Amino acid sequence: MNDTKPFSVDLGSLKSRAKPTSAVTVHKADAAGEKHGFVDRAPKGRRGRPPSPRTGQVHAKVLPHVSDDIMTEARRRGVTQGVIIEEAWALYCAEKGIEAST
Amino acid sequence: MPVIIIASPKGGAGKSTTAVLLGTELAHAGAHVTLIDCDPNGSLSLWAERAPLPPRIQLLENIDEAQIIRAIKKHDGDGNLVIVDLEGVASRLVSRAISQADLVLTPMRATTLDATIGARAIGLIAEEEEALDRQIPHAIVFTMTRAIRSKQHTGIEQSLRSQGVDVIDPPLMERAAFSALFQFGGDLRSMPQQGNMHAAQENAAGFAQAVYKRLTESSNE
Repeated sequence: MNDTKPFSVDLGSLKSRAKPTSAVTVHKADAAGEKHGFVDRAPKGRRGRPPSPRTGQVHAKVLPHVSDDIMTEARRRGVTQGVIIEEAWALYCAEKGIEAST
Repeated sequence: MPVIIIASPKGGAGKSTTAVLLGTELAHAGAHVTLIDCDPNGSLSLWAERAPLPPRIQLLENIDEAQIIRAIKKHDGDGNLVIVDLEGVASRLVSRAISQADLVLTPMRATTLDATIGARAIGLIAEEEEALDRQIPHAIVFTMTRAIRSKQHTGIEQSLRSQGVDVIDPPLMERAAFSALFQFGGDLRSMPQQGNMHAAQENAAGFAQAVYKRLTESSNE
């Protein structure tokens, strides 16, 4: 290994010069950049499709024997399948004497 | 201490290699250096992961356009030299970083494509000088240069010089040791032998000295 020191930096000779950092300066730099195609390319949040809102629907695999019936009844009433399940749960709680949380 | 911005909207021009060589050589010569990695590819971060950072060097990673001016200002103080490695795209991050520069270095290979795209950085600097009403020293450094210069290299360099563009001499040569920095980390003195190490060290030191000369000249103006 060659560990020769080719030159030395004189720290005193390297002086920092004050540079404006105000919002006006940033705006001017941005405007100058935009003239030459240097534009905002910062990533904007998460890419891809946003998550779907919760619908309260029960997947057919959860209640395979009655899912079609629940779906048909929900369509007839114009509600989601979750509403039917909630009502069923309320009836179950009433019959068993369980205090329903909602 | 001065702020050096390594800027070219062209990818693969040698910005990160230039930043590491300059930072490690100036640190070896006694300067305290803060390297700021603004490249989403994190080239400097990859370099830093390979080996402990050489003495007198610290690295700031993942700095974006919202943070860049604050980050530079925080480290642009007595006894510390700041080197900013930018991403190879034309972004607002580049124009904001240049607004804080004491010297802008634009690395380019001696090809028409590099020169054409690199010229956009020169245009941006001129625009910012006018908008900010201050001089921003700027220089080109040719990278990955072959020992035997092509006619294209000579033509591009002559064209730049004739337009008053500062071209750093020596250029950075195509050296196995330079690309191996990202394999082994550290600096040219800590890595295992890669090709002609003496020539690589001499080239890197000569380049760093040429940059240092420009910094002292601009400090004395």
